[in-house]
Amino acid sequence: MIMYLLTIILLLLIAPLLLSFIKAVKMWLLYKKPVSLFQGYRNFAKLMHKETLISQEASQITRIAPFLVLSPLLVTLFFLPPVVAGAFYVSFVDAFTITGLITLSTFFLMLLGLDSASAFGGMGSSREAFIAALVEPAMVLTVFSVSMMSGDLGVGQAGVNLAAHFPEAHMASFLFAAISFFILLLAENGRIPVDNPETHLELTMVHEAMILDITGVYLAIIETAASVKFVIFASLFASLFLPFGLQFAAPVAAALFLVKLFAIAATVAFLEVNTAKLRLFKVPNLLGIAIVFAFLSLITFYVLGA
Amino acid sequence: MMPLLLVLPALIMFIVSFIQSEKAKFLLPLTSFAILLPIVKLFMLPKPYALLGSYLVADRLDTYILLVSSLVGIGVTLALLTLDKHVKVSASAYRRFYRFFAIFWIGLSISILSNNMGLYWIGLELATLSTVYMIKTNHTKAAHKEAWNYMIVGAIAISLVLFGIILMYASAKPILGEDAMRFDLLLSHAKEIPSPFLFEMGFAIATVGMFVKMGFFPMNLWLANIERASFYPVAALFSGILESAVIIGFFRFSQIAMEINYTHLFGFVFAYTLLTIFIVSFLLFRAKDFMRLFSLSGVEHMALIALFWVSGGTFAALLHFGAHAFLKPALFLSTGVLESRGKYRIAGALRGYKGKKGQLFWILVSLFILAIISLPPSPMFFSELYGFGAMIETAKQSDHMLAMIGAILLLLMLLSVIFYRFVAIYQSMKYEGEEEEKRVYPSELFALVMFALCLAALLIPASLDYLRSIV
Amino acid sequence: MGVDFLIGLFLATLIVALFTSRLYRLILWYSMNSLTLGILALLIGEELHDKAMLITGIVTILIKAIGIPYMLKSFSHRFHFVRQIQSEIKVQHAIILIPAILVFTFYLAEPITHMIHGNANYVAISISSLFLSLLLMMEHRNVAPKIIGFLSMENALFLLGITATEGMPMLVELGIFFDLLMAIVVMNLLFHKEEVTP
Repeated sequence: MIMYLLTIILLLLIAPLLLSFIKAVKMWLLYKKPVSLFQGYRNFAKLMHKETLISQEASQITRIAPFLVLSPLLVTLFFLPPVVAGAFYVSFVDAFTITGLITLSTFFLMLLGLDSASAFGGMGSSREAFIAALVEPAMVLTVFSVSMMSGDLGVGQAGVNLAAHFPEAHMASFLFAAISFFILLLAENGRIPVDNPETHLELTMVHEAMILDITGVYLAIIETAASVKFVIFASLFASLFLPFGLQFAAPVAAALFLVKLFAIAATVAFLEVNTAKLRLFKVPNLLGIAIVFAFLSLITFYVLGA
Repeated sequence: MMPLLLVLPALIMFIVSFIQSEKAKFLLPLTSFAILLPIVKLFMLPKPYALLGSYLVADRLDTYILLVSSLVGIGVTLALLTLDKHVKVSASAYRRFYRFFAIFWIGLSISILSNNMGLYWIGLELATLSTVYMIKTNHTKAAHKEAWNYMIVGAIAISLVLFGIILMYASAKPILGEDAMRFDLLLSHAKEIPSPFLFEMGFAIATVGMFVKMGFFPMNLWLANIERASFYPVAALFSGILESAVIIGFFRFSQIAMEINYTHLFGFVFAYTLLTIFIVSFLLFRAKDFMRLFSLSGVEHMALIALFWVSGGTFAALLHFGAHAFLKPALFLSTGVLESRGKYRIAGALRGYKGKKGQLFWILVSLFILAIISLPPSPMFFSELYGFGAMIETAKQSDHMLAMIGAILLLLMLLSVIFYRFVAIYQSMKYEGEEEEKRVYPSELFALVMFALCLAALLIPASLDYLRSIV
Repeated sequence: MGVDFLIGLFLATLIVALFTSRLYRLILWYSMNSLTLGILALLIGEELHDKAMLITGIVTILIKAIGIPYMLKSFSHRFHFVRQIQSEIKVQHAIILIPAILVFTFYLAEPITHMIHGNANYVAISISSLFLSLLLMMEHRNVAPKIIGFLSMENALFLLGITATEGMPMLVELGIFFDLLMAIVVMNLLFHKEEVTP
């Protein structure tokens, strides 16, 4: 039990660090002076002290929504596969629950954007809805397919099973699922081919457009939610698609897990430097690939057993 | 020694085509005529004669087809001599045409003589790719488009053939090992193939590929458009030579498939060819220019050849094949003259020939046109008689006699549609339209006379006996 | 395991190529496709102790993964291809169509897979990649993607050759390579003429 809680606290703590790490790697690759790794914490502390202003047109939703954006994600943290062997984990939560919780958070984020009654908010929300609608089926299919390969529908149990018996016979469908999930990781977290987290250019922004009117503590909460979301996806990827190292002693396994997270973050950063952001109406191409791969993974598993 | 001799003229042609002097213009046709000599030598040798181990084997079937093809090649070369009188063609395009003709000939010889499925495919692909460029010798937009079209569709068709070959190879590999590529071993071990379904699947796919390449059912107008866009000697090459390389593959594959499951093979080919003839006969009825007319009629003949062959009428199929291979190129070559006053002038195309040469030309062309609708004494008349006889003979052994008679009646109806159309066209060519003067050059006339002699030679009893003894 | 992984990668690169709308990316994915094929041939050849397959694997990597993509790129420089290749089939339709093709071919190949011992799945995957390359040829109107579709069809057939039959005779495989090179030469000439005549 203590391991379980420690893991969750660790993941929460590491969340802002990971996003700063991505930013730092990107700047380093572009020959800029990298930003400090602790910039995420600094921003959080600074925003907590700032005055919280709310637009006149905003309704009650703006006051509630930030918490409802964060809380489903926090709940999801409890359902992730274990990081070290022998730790407590929730075994019965399946792909639908996880996807549903993440989508719930996205739903409130969209409401928040609409509620500010600015043109940007509505635009951002509609774009987010557009992307989320394409992400969801792929997400369900992918996690479901991996769960099938591991022999258990529960995501937590799947992670444990995969670590114990790597599905060597189903390497092809495993690969397809991994490709699909990585694309989803990029899309859901608003990374570069889908959304650029660093610009405030009205033509391109999705996530930033929704939270343009949010300030102070609320902004801190939303930013935390974004980083927690990334941690959730990264740790899901690490425990479902890089399932090794669980059998080591607890500190080693945890360290290995952290290394995996940072490797994923570095990959994302590397991809972001090397690709251009897609036009909004090209995004379905990318997500279409994700859906096709998710489906392919499932049918390859079922029909061919490969 | 013999294989080298076979490709030597083509190799010389290939090298000479790079020489940029006036001499090349005489040397190229000369080497092109020389392709006949080694083949006649091959024809005389005792069969089967192993040319290159078990890879290239000359037996009666392939030497016959190679001989026919080389005669067609000579006819085409003759017509090429005066190609520039009818259409605009530059000297370099000329040379390049011969260069690719040389490659074409090498690929063709490999594919016809091969005793190995893989080698057969390689030769066929080589021949196909080299014809792509021959289409392009005509410098028009349409020719360019059709060259790409040929490249793409031909590639798909050829890939289907390879796909089928791989499946067939896979089906026989457990018993034959790497020798499962050999036609003769496959034929003698056909009954022992462990997974006949796999072989039949491969055969069906390969056959669809070959049929598409010959312009059967889904792609009926494909070849016609290509032949329309290219120069007429290319069309003659297509119908006379390239199709013979395809059909020999069909002959060989179906011989093996016959051993495995005759009913499946017969049903499949029967339905496919009947469908093709059904569509082609109506397309023919609406055709308005010579190229399309002749090329669709070629599709019809190929379908009949395939049908006769699987019905067991091998003699009829081979006779029909020989007649088709001589008649079609002759007609395609004569379109150069027939169309010299515009593309769509069917009316009066046979009028306005002056002098002895002109007289001979129009008599020969009208004989050829009447011969392709199998008026006696055309060889096609006899081959169709024998072919239908063979079909009924096959039906006697099964209990589908009535269905077969119905099918033959349907076939005869469709053939009579074609017959009617050609007779109408002949009358329009001869008795309608204005008299416009057209020039005939000796080389073309020479080619036509050669084809007429070859046709006559097909009908002498000795050659009929030879054809009977092939399979 | 390694073979399974590579087969998956083979199909994956082909599917990604279907969604690509840039010519150079398409060439890159073709090259990746051929690279996985070459490595696959090397792995299977190593497993079967088949020297011929090792040679064909190396030749595949040299010709198909490096040579042909390089040549296509140089053609595109020389003859000014359109590099924006828009697919005729809309993405939303492709998302439905591609899985449908895959399911169809997987079930189509099922009777065949019963008859081939050992690598039965690979036959299904190579047949479906054959159909996907046909789709690649169909969905584009430009010539260059059509050529790449043709080349990946060749790759799919090659995959079928090495998996279903455990390698075709050496002579045949080399002959197929020769024909491929011939095809490139003919394409070069066709493009060349296109440039000369207006």
